[in-house]
Amino acid sequence: MYVVIIGCGRAGSSLANLLSQQGSDVVVIDKEPEALQELAPEYSGFKVKGDATEIEVLKEAKLDKADVVVITTDNDNVNAMIAQIAKNLYAIPQVLVRVIDPAKEIIYNDLDVYSISTTNLLVDKFSRQIKNN
Amino acid sequence: MDIIIVGGGKVVYHLTKIFNAKGYRIAIINKDEEYCKYLARELKALVIHGDGSDPDSMKEAQASKAEAILALTGSDPDNLFICQLARKKFGIPGTFSMINNPDNEKIFKSLGIKTIFNTTKLLSILIEQKVETADVNNLISIEEGRVSISQIILKKDSPVLNKTLKQLDLPHDIVLGSIIRDKDVLIPRGETRLLEGDKVLVITLTENQGKAFAALTGQK
Amino acid sequence: MSKENILVIDDEKNIRNNLTKCLTDYEVETAVNGEEGLKKFREKEYDLVLLDMKLPGIGGIDVLAEIKEVDPGAIVIMITGYGSVETAVKTMKLGAVDYLSKPFTCDEILEVVESVVKRKQAEMSEDELSTYDEFVDYAKNCIVDRQFSKALKYLQKAVSLDTSNPEAFNLMGILLEMENDVLEAQKKYRAALSLDPTYKPAQENLDRTTQRDYSKEGMNFGGKQNKKD
Repeated sequence: MYVVIIGCGRAGSSLANLLSQQGSDVVVIDKEPEALQELAPEYSGFKVKGDATEIEVLKEAKLDKADVVVITTDNDNVNAMIAQIAKNLYAIPQVLVRVIDPAKEIIYNDLDVYSISTTNLLVDKFSRQIKNN
Repeated sequence: MDIIIVGGGKVVYHLTKIFNAKGYRIAIINKDEEYCKYLARELKALVIHGDGSDPDSMKEAQASKAEAILALTGSDPDNLFICQLARKKFGIPGTFSMINNPDNEKIFKSLGIKTIFNTTKLLSILIEQKVETADVNNLISIEEGRVSISQIILKKDSPVLNKTLKQLDLPHDIVLGSIIRDKDVLIPRGETRLLEGDKVLVITLTENQGKAFAALTGQK
Repeated sequence: MSKENILVIDDEKNIRNNLTKCLTDYEVETAVNGEEGLKKFREKEYDLVLLDMKLPGIGGIDVLAEIKEVDPGAIVIMITGYGSVETAVKTMKLGAVDYLSKPFTCDEILEVVESVVKRKQAEMSEDELSTYDEFVDYAKNCIVDRQFSKALKYLQKAVSLDTSNPEAFNLMGILLEMENDVLEAQKKYRAALSLDPTYKPAQENLDRTTQRDYSKEGMNFGGKQNKKD
């Protein structure tokens, strides 16, 4: 599987390390070189330094070949734009997006995109835990 | 509110004046607190200090009643989000966005957002109906990005005071957009006389900006 | 049978990891820069060198030149970055046999490495060729080396041995595409498909050649067929 991960923060880099260990072809994109250095020493995928809202950068990462795109920058607006580029312009089969402000999740309403709001997830799990006890 | 303007800088002031003159009610959302205070003082508009991509700010701007939204920030992802939020959450039919990186035009267009490459062109189009069309067409046919917009305030040492536009005989590649005099918006004609204190919107080729400035202020 | 030796010269750890992980059928050794790479190359024989164009210190192109000086017959594949196709082509003139641009999938690396290694093996005497597969494999190598009339000769020999096998026809199509006769190439792909409608390489080639944005990229040479014997 060819996986492109956008945003090499804690979540992005962990996922990249895991997937490359499992044998997927992984490419990580991040604007900051320091972020790309957070990848594990055993990381066997590729790194692209650049702004993933720029088409040239997506071309460099060969996004058109991707089976999966995971979008986890720390900016909801940027994530939404890349998600739509991935879905509408590149027709990537699986697009996964992280949502920071739950009020913004509405943007993905009619999009065939798998969005996860970390806040909502947390609230859901915590409330279940509280209910169970 | 009829039209919401997000971001934009100096141009927002002029745009709002022109829209108001045409009878539209305007809401402005801007991140700069000082600029918001200035706009609230100087303009007849609902001014909201906030982030246009935040649903709460849009709500304050009465987005569900708006006909159109203009996203004019310097960030294409923000502009895209603003337009989509406007449509998906508030049902605003007309979405217009500035595009900072021309490569992004495709994604905006594919999502049904009308694109503006620079606000100069937008203003030119707005003004077009009342100005000599020949002058403005010259500019519109020029490549995007080579055109600049500036606001020049005519001080008492300006060499053009009390002259009419016809007398000025400005070259064809310098167009005077709106003139703001006290609280009024004037659309310049040949017989329009320039007075001290006028805020003149000048539209030129980028390389002629200096020339226009010199002509109107007498300074190099 | 001992595995082939591959030397990987790349300053990026993740790339060295990637190639080591992928090329499990080979003995892979790595070097972190041009100096170390050349040192290892002088001390031992390698069947293949994978060399990154962008290296700190001695640049990739200079390392290539050095390697060729040590052993003119050395087989080198360049690893290139985005937008450096022009330079990559230059390296081919300097003696690199192929190049691969990052990022690449494991499948892509294996394909290039295998074709290069096989080409070396196929330098056996033409008189030794006698089976359908041998003719076809030899023809494939001829196509890659742009010896088109030789390739055609061996494809025809293959067909004369077995007229029901789509593989040779598919390759005739490839040959014609390389000579820029797409219409005739499509006829060959169709011929292959009429012999075996499930033969994917010909289907893929036909689909690719009928696209509006026609490109030779992604040509399918076909692989080993599953033999019943």
